[in-house]
Amino acid sequence: MSADITITAETPRAPTLGRPIVRPQEPAVVAQTSPKVVIKDVRFYYKGYEALKGINLALQDKRVTAFIGPSGCGKSTLLRVLNRIYELYPGQRATGEVLVDGRNILDSGQDLNLLRAKIGMVFQKPTPFPMSIYDNIAFGIRLYERLSASELDERVEHALRRAALWDEVKDKLRQSGLSLSGGQQQRLCIARAVAVKPEILLLDEPASALDPISTQRVEELIAELKSDYCIAIVTHNMQQAARSSDYTAFMYLGELVEFGDTEAIFTHPREKRTEDYITGRFG
Amino acid sequence: MASTLTVASPRRTDRQHLQDALFRGATRAFAIGVLVLLGGIVLSLVVGATAAFGTFGWGFLTSVAWNPVKDDFGALPAIYGTLVTSLIAMLIGIPLAIGIAVFLTELCPPPLRRPIGTLIELLAAIPSIIYGIWGLFVLAPFLQLHVQPFLIDTLGEVPVIGPLFDGPPLGLGILTAGIILGVMVLPFIAAVTRDVFLTVPSMLRESAYGVGATTSEVISRIVLPYTRAGVIGAIMLGLGRALGETMAVTFVIGNAHHIRVSLLAPGTTISATLANEFSEAVGRLYPSSLFALGAILFVITFVVLAAAKLLLLRLEKQGTR
Repeated sequence: MSADITITAETPRAPTLGRPIVRPQEPAVVAQTSPKVVIKDVRFYYKGYEALKGINLALQDKRVTAFIGPSGCGKSTLLRVLNRIYELYPGQRATGEVLVDGRNILDSGQDLNLLRAKIGMVFQKPTPFPMSIYDNIAFGIRLYERLSASELDERVEHALRRAALWDEVKDKLRQSGLSLSGGQQQRLCIARAVAVKPEILLLDEPASALDPISTQRVEELIAELKSDYCIAIVTHNMQQAARSSDYTAFMYLGELVEFGDTEAIFTHPREKRTEDYITGRFG
Repeated sequence: MASTLTVASPRRTDRQHLQDALFRGATRAFAIGVLVLLGGIVLSLVVGATAAFGTFGWGFLTSVAWNPVKDDFGALPAIYGTLVTSLIAMLIGIPLAIGIAVFLTELCPPPLRRPIGTLIELLAAIPSIIYGIWGLFVLAPFLQLHVQPFLIDTLGEVPVIGPLFDGPPLGLGILTAGIILGVMVLPFIAAVTRDVFLTVPSMLRESAYGVGATTSEVISRIVLPYTRAGVIGAIMLGLGRALGETMAVTFVIGNAHHIRVSLLAPGTTISATLANEFSEAVGRLYPSSLFALGAILFVITFVVLAAAKLLLLRLEKQGTR
């Protein structure tokens, strides 16, 4: 509910009545906020297989961009390019440019740990670290900052509050993160990502393993976090994309088929394939 | 379909019931057979040891005597040697094995992973007698000429721990046996540790890298805590082997029934004593004392395994709390 209100109230975009005439989408998008991430001709290879075939796209700061598309279309892969987590696996490589604040993070000179500290990622399944709730949050902070105990306490509390988890866990911070329910674990992971003060949040189907109530809480959380971060979310859930994002990118077979305002994509898709997918007539 | 089943069933189900009963009976017999065997071994150890324990009482555990001529026996030197060589083996084996497992799972270039892993497993396939020969003819002289003089000159001069590295460099002794044992348990611990490291979900590792952790931070803070139950299991497996290992130790330990502070001095272990002396044990008390040593080794290994199980149970409780 709150998600819808913030999107419509905050998104300064010309009212689109009927079929939108904004065919060159990019300029219209760029005009709204500054692009935080600019993806230029990104191609991605698993061994010899080309999983991304030249993606061009910009992610706006303080906005949510949703990536939708059938399984295997490359949306998660694209997300994994943005923090270069794919480099953990030999045989995977990306070409092209990903400019974050104008700097190409695919450069070999880029420090990976700093990059990843700046770009938080949340995965499909909750992945609490095998340590206490408190330490789960403090882990990332301790890596890069020397804080006094009270400052650290404050940061942990702040992160847990931002993830709407504080009230549920404040009395059991010393318990294992694994003792929480699935929905709580996922919010713990979001809190953990937020705690290191990243600039970009990558959410890879963050609610796909959660029950409806936890899903709703995560979506509220996304709407809430939007004011501070550039957020990219991969989802299989059309309603979720429609509800919680400002922009939507539809990908298919490693290509970006359509990208634009979420409302426009869902009400007046320009591409037949997009329309087929969002109306469930795909394949 | 349903009707044909019910029509055909009476004879068919009878046969199935019989098959099931036979199968259940056979598997149960196998399982019980193992228990009976275990019970028999324990019984024979106890019966064999009665004479020794009857003569020496609990004093057998604390006596350092070992005099076949006067029929005076004590277990302490062998117990001491068993525990100390195993301790040295663990001190050497655990860090190396975990290091190898980390390298194989996190750092090693993929084409080398399988060859190196296989070679390490091959290390476990070498018969212990080969380790013994190698220890006696290669390792012991090398230690005697190059390593032990150095240890005596350096660590031997350090206050507190100096006496541990005192005395002449003999080559054979507790330290050499411990080193051999360390090499022998290494592949077991490394292989199991590698396997449990591989059970860490890739998403968990990615999340840790995702908040900017380096490889060493991911391993020490995420991978090891996540797999600690399995790693402890691997260590216990190695420890069990070190405690019972016989041939290689017998070759290099020197087989002397006394306790010296210095690790360079010869000593003995329970299994080495048994292997060496059963053939020449005559009379009543001598063989019985060896049986008693065997029973003690059995108890030590049992206690180690039980302690490991308890530890794992406690860890499990903490995890699900």
